Amino acid sequence: MAHRDLDEHLPAIAGGDADAFARWLAAAEAPLRRSLRTFAANVDTEAVLQESLLRVWQVAPRCEPDGRPNGLLRLAQRVARNLAIDALRRQRAAHVELLEGDLPTIEPQPVDEHVRDTLRRCRNKLPERPAQALDARLHDRELRNDRELASALDMQLNTFLQNITRARRLLAECLQRHGVQLKEVTT
Amino acid sequence: MTPAERDDLIERATTAWRPRDLDGGLRAHPAFHDLDDDGRRALHEELELQRRLEALLDDDGLSTTARAVLRRIRG
Repeated sequence: MAHRDLDEHLPAIAGGDADAFARWLAAAEAPLRRSLRTFAANVDTEAVLQESLLRVWQVAPRCEPDGRPNGLLRLAQRVARNLAIDALRRQRAAHVELLEGDLPTIEPQPVDEHVRDTLRRCRNKLPERPAQALDARLHDRELRNDRELASALDMQLNTFLQNITRARRLLAECLQRHGVQLKEVTT
Repeated sequence: MTPAERDDLIERATTAWRPRDLDGGLRAHPAFHDLDDDGRRALHEELELQRRLEALLDDDGLSTTARAVLRRIRG
């Protein structure tokens, strides 16, 4: 299957269209996150990724097509790697040299409709409290931390986290019963 | 650290919420600092998996990471 060129969204993103950036994000996040694996033992890749994506939004108007697909994704990869290296430099500079150099090619992956449909059916079978905890994280629009989310559900933080864990375990078991292995989700 | 304590730290850090510094930049989750190297790698793997699950469950295909970024962009 041919990979998508996410630069189809670039003109709109460069024009300040946040909805277009959302569509780009939906396909770009996973390969970008994977590209940060090398740094996982030293930097919080979630923080680096979010900061990188904010910067990509800011510099997108200056992203010039170079004739190759996924120019903005490649730019984002470079931004993310540079931010991770900056974080590393602040900790222990000796590590950095090994991590610099040519960037590996990353590409957006298509969504597996079978996995998605199966996952949604499994989600609908979750017990009430794990489902509530999971939904609280999924649908929170106010960037609240877990303690605040737990409080809104009348749960202690530990109970909230236990329900998240239980929800994920139940989803994994349900997926496996339907022939979907978790590793298929991330590849 | 017991396996249960490690798993608890990983669970805490899988949220998309991250503290900000005085300049508004994002900092590591507090639980990240308490994990050893293997625990941090396990956290990254868990984040890869959870964000994919979130995106698959979302009508717009967006994870909580993407939602957090868009929230900051849109204000």
